This record gives sequence, C-alpha cells and structure tokens, in this order.
Amino acid sequence: MHTRGCCAVALALVVAWTSPAIGQQAPAAAGRIKIASGATSIVRQGVALPAKPGELVFEADSLRTGGDGRLGVTLKDDSRISLGPNSEVRLDRFLFAPATDGVGFGLTILRGLLAYISGRIAKLSPDAVRLETPSAILGVRGTHLVIRVDTP
Amino acid sequence: MNGRRRVAWLLVVPALAVSCGGRRPVAVPAQPSGSLVVLLPDPDDGSVGRVSASNAAGAVELSAARDATRVATGQTPPAPAPLDAAEVTRIFGDALAGLPRAPRHFSLFFQFDSDELTDESRRLLPEIRTVIGEYVVPDVVVVGHTDTMGTNAGNYQLGLRRATIIRDLLVSGGLDASLVEVASHGEADPVVRTPDETREARNRRVEIEVK
Repeated sequence: MHTRGCCAVALALVVAWTSPAIGQQAPAAAGRIKIASGATSIVRQGVALPAKPGELVFEADSLRTGGDGRLGVTLKDDSRISLGPNSEVRLDRFLFAPATDGVGFGLTILRGLLAYISGRIAKLSPDAVRLETPSAILGVRGTHLVIRVDTP
Repeated sequence: MNGRRRVAWLLVVPALAVSCGGRRPVAVPAQPSGSLVVLLPDPDDGSVGRVSASNAAGAVELSAARDATRVATGQTPPAPAPLDAAEVTRIFGDALAGLPRAPRHFSLFFQFDSDELTDESRRLLPEIRTVIGEYVVPDVVVVGHTDTMGTNAGNYQLGLRRATIIRDLLVSGGLDASLVEVASHGEADPVVRTPDETREARNRRVEIEVK
C-alpha cells in the first residue's frame, strides 16, 4: 500500500514535470525553408542542422550561411526573409495567432546580408515588428527592405 | 562556424594576443561596425513602405524608393539618401535572389448548404493546381467558411467538410497531404457581414493560401 502510494506520487511528479516539456517539444512552426543553396544551417538550441528546402523554422532558431550560401524562408504570416552569403540571423520572436494570443515578430541580423518583405503581422500591428542589428533598431511600416551588417 | 568552435575562438584570441606580446592576431578592417539599411519598392505591387532606423543617438525615417542610411554603433543615424539601383543589385543581389516566391490566395465558392462547388469555382481548380506546382515546397492552408443560415455548430462542420473536400481534390492531384492544413471558421469570418440566418453566396467559400 505504502509502496503503491509512493509510486503514484512519483508518477504524478513525472507527469507534472514532463508535461510542459512535451508541450515545448512540439511548438507551432514559424515558417519553412523554401530556398537553400551552398553552405546553410539552422542552429537550434546550440546544434547546427542542415537547412534544406522543406525544413521547418521555429522561434529562437538562428539561420546561417557560408561563403557560397543562400537561404530563403517564408513565415506563417506570409512575411519572407532571405540571407546572402556569410550571414547570420536569429528569429527572436514569432507569434501569429491574431484571434487568440496576438502577433509579434522579432529578428536580429548578426552579420551579413538580409532581404525582408513584411507580411500580415506588419499589416495587423506595425509596432509588433522589430528588426535589430548590432547598431540599429528598425521599425517597419512595410514592406520591403534590405540590410547589410558590417562587423569589424 | 558552430557555437562550440566560436567559444573556442573567444578563448584563443585573447590568449594569442597575450602570447604575441600584444600584437593583434587578426587584421581589423578599417570600416567600423555598422548597418546599411535600404528601403525598396515592394517586388509584387511596387508600393514603397516606410522604415525607421534608430539607436540611442537618434532616429531617421526612410520613405522613398532606395532611401538608404548607414547606422554606425553609437552614432546619430545619418539622413537618408537614395542608393543607386546598380549599387543595390551589386551589394544585395545575392540576398534578393534568395527571396521565396510570393504567397498566393484563392477563394472557391459553394452552393447553398452544400459541399458542392459552384461551376465557376470548379473551373478554377486546374489553375490552382498549376500555381501550387510552381512552389518547390508549398505550404497550403485551406479554410472553410459558411453563410449565417443554420447553427454555429452545424456551420463549423459544413465549413470543415468544404475545406476537407478541397484538400482531398488537391491531394488527389499530387500534392503531399502533410503540406496541407485544413481548418473551419464556420460562419464566424464572413467576407460580407450579414444578419444571422441570411443566405449569402459570397460567404459560402473555401479560402486557399499557397506559400
């Protein structure tokens, strides 16, 4: 009886502890890689994965290209980004649930070249879009811009 | 460069600097760190938006085609000036070439209280299939809608039936089912606002997003 009670408590603890983790393991994708050529990777939780067309992109992922790399991503809200060679960006925030939780888009360009076309998040709430570089914060009222970050 | 190797470099570089008696181990380019920002016309409709560039020292606004500013760390962003089109291509050509195809949207309409397409909408299906085929890896979202005749619950189900039928038609045409999302908004998201219990052909539809 006593043992069984302990087991039940232990099981409850395990369930309580793992449930949020299971929720975190399957978040909604932010978008999908549509174009990739040359050396490209998605860095997720510190691990570099090959960035092939068809791969999903999630909030908090970084995208990187090498000297011959090129990468294009379409996000769930129809916004599009692309990286030229020797580039790195991080998707700090992506939320597109207009009817429930709201919208948000945060992208940091760490180095290299980025092209951006805004999507429905910028239309619904321009203030919810924030692009950042090491030297500037960009507010976007639509629609198309390009950025080069020079790092010494 | 992976994260671990970068951490290793962070450790090695100061160590080299010390071991070389303060000599710099790597050349530092003359150009200080900064960001060149250029506003471009929308590639799909040609419209020109607006972008603000700011830092702790100030802010500027780009509002004309090819307006550019180069913001250096900690310095007031300079007033925007147009960048030559050829320069835009020279600097950003590689990045621009990687932009994915623009998303497309379609509406298909249905007969009253039915999951039968109108004849006109049925004739659109081949074109929609062709467009989807132009995307290397398409994402397709299919959302069913109804007019306000009938109950909310019944209309949710009708919207879902409409969307599922369209999904099945696209999948039978060769589209990978794992790339299609199906949803119903029932009568909650009309194109044309009407009172409850109103027949409205324009609200009896499935909307397809392809991206």
